[in-house]
Amino acid sequence: MSEMWQEAMIAAFREMMNRAVLFLPKLMAMVTFLAVGWLVKLLLMHILKVVRFEVFCERMGLTSALAKGGVKQRMSDLIGRFSFWVVFLFFAFMGVDALDLPATANLMSAILGFLPHVIAAILVGLLGILLANFSGEAVLIAAVNAQIQGARFMANMVRWGIIIFTGAMVLTQLGIAKEIVVAAFSIIFGGIVLAMAIAVGLGGRTIAKEALERRLRREKAGDEFTHI
Amino acid sequence: MEDAVWKAVQEQCPDAHQVDLLIALPSFNHASTIGSVLKAILAGLNASFANASILIVNADVGSQDGTPDIVKQTVGALVPVAVIQPLGEGSSASPFALNRLSYSGMPGREEAFKSFFVLTQRLQAKACAVIDANMRSVTAEWMSLLVKPVLESGADYVAPVFRRPRYEGSLTNNLIAPLTRSLYGKRVGCQVGGGYGFSPKMASTLFQKKFLWEGEAARFAIDSWLTTVAVAEGFQVWQARLGAKVQDHKAGAADVATSLVQAVGASYHYMEHYQDVWEKPTGSSAVPEVGKPMETEVEATPIHVERMMKGFRQGLRDLLPIWEVILAPETLAGVLALGLKDDEDFRYPLALWVQTVYDFAVAYHEKVIHREHLLRSLMPLYLGRTSSVVLETRGGGPEMVQHTVEQGCQTFEAMKPYLVDRWRFQ
Repeated sequence: MSEMWQEAMIAAFREMMNRAVLFLPKLMAMVTFLAVGWLVKLLLMHILKVVRFEVFCERMGLTSALAKGGVKQRMSDLIGRFSFWVVFLFFAFMGVDALDLPATANLMSAILGFLPHVIAAILVGLLGILLANFSGEAVLIAAVNAQIQGARFMANMVRWGIIIFTGAMVLTQLGIAKEIVVAAFSIIFGGIVLAMAIAVGLGGRTIAKEALERRLRREKAGDEFTHI
Repeated sequence: MEDAVWKAVQEQCPDAHQVDLLIALPSFNHASTIGSVLKAILAGLNASFANASILIVNADVGSQDGTPDIVKQTVGALVPVAVIQPLGEGSSASPFALNRLSYSGMPGREEAFKSFFVLTQRLQAKACAVIDANMRSVTAEWMSLLVKPVLESGADYVAPVFRRPRYEGSLTNNLIAPLTRSLYGKRVGCQVGGGYGFSPKMASTLFQKKFLWEGEAARFAIDSWLTTVAVAEGFQVWQARLGAKVQDHKAGAADVATSLVQAVGASYHYMEHYQDVWEKPTGSSAVPEVGKPMETEVEATPIHVERMMKGFRQGLRDLLPIWEVILAPETLAGVLALGLKDDEDFRYPLALWVQTVYDFAVAYHEKVIHREHLLRSLMPLYLGRTSSVVLETRGGGPEMVQHTVEQGCQTFEAMKPYLVDRWRFQ
């Protein structure tokens, strides 16, 4: 009886050791992937610092664009943090995949398949915010120079119009509730256009008529002297 | 482009291989004025340069009113004449450039000037005079005033100066000319359009230096940057007092903001190219002038500042987030304080104005925001300063305005170290 028990124990121990021997390299591989991920993040942040990415972002208006969106961190910090998480997750999934567990089988290929959508969505979002702020600023300055009283309102309309449009594009790109997004966007956008049409058609008909007449007849409230 | 222009001239004037004078007229639908301009030119050439070999070149950018035909009919066989198309046969201006005309209102003006410089070089002309085809006040005397300094006194560039009512050319007097004077040390009026005189040296330099023609500022504002480049390159600059300036298209009246963007943008643009030149000089010297002394006139209609004040106050209300990025904190504080004053007591102090212009120059250099947005956002501040000048001087005569402009120039010079420091160490 005791021999049987002894053999069973030894067999179980052997089995466990065999499994451990098989699992250990996979665990080591996962740890190595995580370490490499950390190193890649550090390297990326160092490169961003060397190429003065922060200054570039300020010049391109990205920093102020984010500040307007309520994001107070520096752009290089954000990119560093974002890249770390991308690299970390990438390597973490590689590590988990390396464990060869049945529950996580094909996890990596599924994530890699979705990655292009995420990257495209990020790019679309970034460009959309830049375009929104650029256009909003252009409209604001032009309206102020034309001495239009609702300059800020016009600029905000343009900015938020583009931001909403961008948001819809990002969600569609990510495949999140496509149908709802398209329907909601169409309703909001169509609603705004209809509201404006009604506002101009009923409320501002006379003003629009006068403005058009002035424009077509090239009548301008000019200064009494030339500036150049 | 050079070969096409040269070929066109050779086809029309096979004997023109070398001339003494090149008289150039850029034109675009100027049938109503070009005849009288040419008659004045011909009279001037006959009176002052009867023995010189001359070629008249009309660079027409696609007139639909028969302007080139009028040129040929008016000149006839008196002087060889050639009509060229600076943009080339069958081509047209870029559709994106249609709203970006020089404030002369003429498309392709920069290409026309480039063609004139090429021809001056190829024809080995001793001088080139460019006269605008839309001028109604050209007299025979203009030829002598624009050309003789080049032929007889070694001038490289003869810039026009006109007799104007005291507040005319407010942007030029309160910003462009003082800035140019403080940067490059030459007291030039920086007035634009009408007529210019060039030496072959200046023409070939302008043509050969490709960087001069590159960039948004260079492409649409040749009238603005000719004087800047001439003083920055160290050419002998003269000024010709040409009398009154009466033209068909009232420059700057259509869109002040665009004129400001072009004129100020050109000044800031070339500050980057000529940093080594302008960082050094201190003080300024006058440039030689020809022509009869001119009196500044009092304006025919009173100037109302209400609209300009309104523009300034709206800028203060709506553009503050943009100015916060552009202006130094002490400048911004000064500008904000202006909003508290009543219209009648409103004064935009000179030192604050100079600081504003210099802060915008630094911000342009640093590209803190898109450059066109930056320049356009200067507009309300400029209106504020112009209102202030009118309010300060309207009780006095033209001399008082001239005195204020001179004070402005001196303040620009005195505060130049502020610009240099910020430019270098921002």
